Amino acid sequence: MRLKDKVAVVTGGAQGIGRAVALGMGREGAKVVVADLQAETAQGTVNELQAGSAEALAAEVDVADEASVKRLAQGVFDRLGRVDILVNGAGIYYPKASVVELSEQDWDRTLNINLGGNFFCCREFVPGMRAQKSGRIISLASGIAHYGMKQFAHYAASKAAVIGFVKSLARELAADAITVNAVCPGSTNTSMPRQHRSEEEVMARLRSTPLPHVLEPEDIAGPILFLASDAAAYITGQCYNINCGSYMF
Amino acid sequence: MNPVALITGAGNGIGRAVAHRLAAAGMTVVIADYDLAAAEQVRGEIIQERGRAEALSVDVTVAREVKALVTDVEQRFGRIDALANIAGGSFYTKRIEDFSWREWKQVIDVNLKGTFLMCREVAPIMQRQKSGRIVNTASNYAVTGSALRTPYAAAKAGIIAFTKSLALELAADGVLANTVAPGPTDTPRVMEKESVEARRRRWGPNIPLGRTAVPQDIAEMYYFLTTPESAAITGQTFHVNGGVVMP
Repeated sequence: MRLKDKVAVVTGGAQGIGRAVALGMGREGAKVVVADLQAETAQGTVNELQAGSAEALAAEVDVADEASVKRLAQGVFDRLGRVDILVNGAGIYYPKASVVELSEQDWDRTLNINLGGNFFCCREFVPGMRAQKSGRIISLASGIAHYGMKQFAHYAASKAAVIGFVKSLARELAADAITVNAVCPGSTNTSMPRQHRSEEEVMARLRSTPLPHVLEPEDIAGPILFLASDAAAYITGQCYNINCGSYMF
Repeated sequence: MNPVALITGAGNGIGRAVAHRLAAAGMTVVIADYDLAAAEQVRGEIIQERGRAEALSVDVTVAREVKALVTDVEQRFGRIDALANIAGGSFYTKRIEDFSWREWKQVIDVNLKGTFLMCREVAPIMQRQKSGRIVNTASNYAVTGSALRTPYAAAKAGIIAFTKSLALELAADGVLANTVAPGPTDTPRVMEKESVEARRRRWGPNIPLGRTAVPQDIAEMYYFLTTPESAAITGQTFHVNGGVVMP
């Protein structure tokens, strides 16, 4: 158990990659806070964690809402006293729109959740990590940050911004032995790509990678668990691709 | 049957730490090194810790030695699950006009050609197995460059591109190839040339985490790249460097 007695907060932990990360953290001995906009679904992840005899609790949060994130942090500190690991997994992908047709509202919403959520959560959880002179922050970026994707410029911009944010925060926090890293998943077998593609299209895309392996949420969770562990103490400011070889830069 | 790992440059430094790490995880490790005495020393350490290890000598720049090594390992164990190409080094710090062709070629060959020759022999075995992990070794200098180390930076950048191409060739057979790019690491070879104090003065301010690496820091990444947790990762470069570069 690599994360025994650590306290981990996983935003977006109700489903998809966040859920796999939360379950993995629980298996490794961490106490897990499953924070999500969808409180009921988050409770489902918590039930699974508890069935595996992990300590876990669900929390409702809107990461784009400053007050909501402050309440989350206060609640976690009140109940668990500390946070060792923060995984910024909450994010949105849809809507699909070309740049010339994208509304200001949709632009703002994507940036507020995907990027602003990182800012609010880090701002609230960093002081505790600084005080204990240790911590791990791992943010979910995306291969689309590097590769781009038509009709998802807003999403690509938000995820590329997360990478810049992570590198800067890594430099800010290194002196306090807090590491900050990002992972860039390729297209993963979750509900997200199904928001705008048929089941057949999704599976064809997932099977089109050089490696004959469908990228599952667990494949993304594994490297995140590694980055959260003591084994990764010397890694900071990095962005690691997990994409079955679909691109390599 | 325990998984088998073949590690070049395992007599010292990062290679030695990787041998210890993989052996601790239950793999049988083949410690291959130019310096057989050093390899045997590491073998002794691992056996003392109840690990499984063999020591063999190899000059990775000599094709027939590489072939003989890999044939020997295959005959002994019948399989190779992981290959870590760590033999390498910068050897010289000098201006471009002072490099002889022989010196240039030595640096390119030990790092880049050695990686090619090892992969050429081991890849077919892994392809037949329909599984295998290759982990090659670059450097932060592969992306930043380094004054006075032109052939080394070129060789290490070459290893990154080589590994990406190899990953694409081998992916269909479920064989993964990735690169670890260590930052400044306190290995015996480096520490011979520089005092701890001088090293701290030179690097300290430039490394966000405030210290150079110990070989164990780097070894953890090699281990990760042999585990099921990295099953969906190929062709990628993993910088482990305390934040000294964030490409």
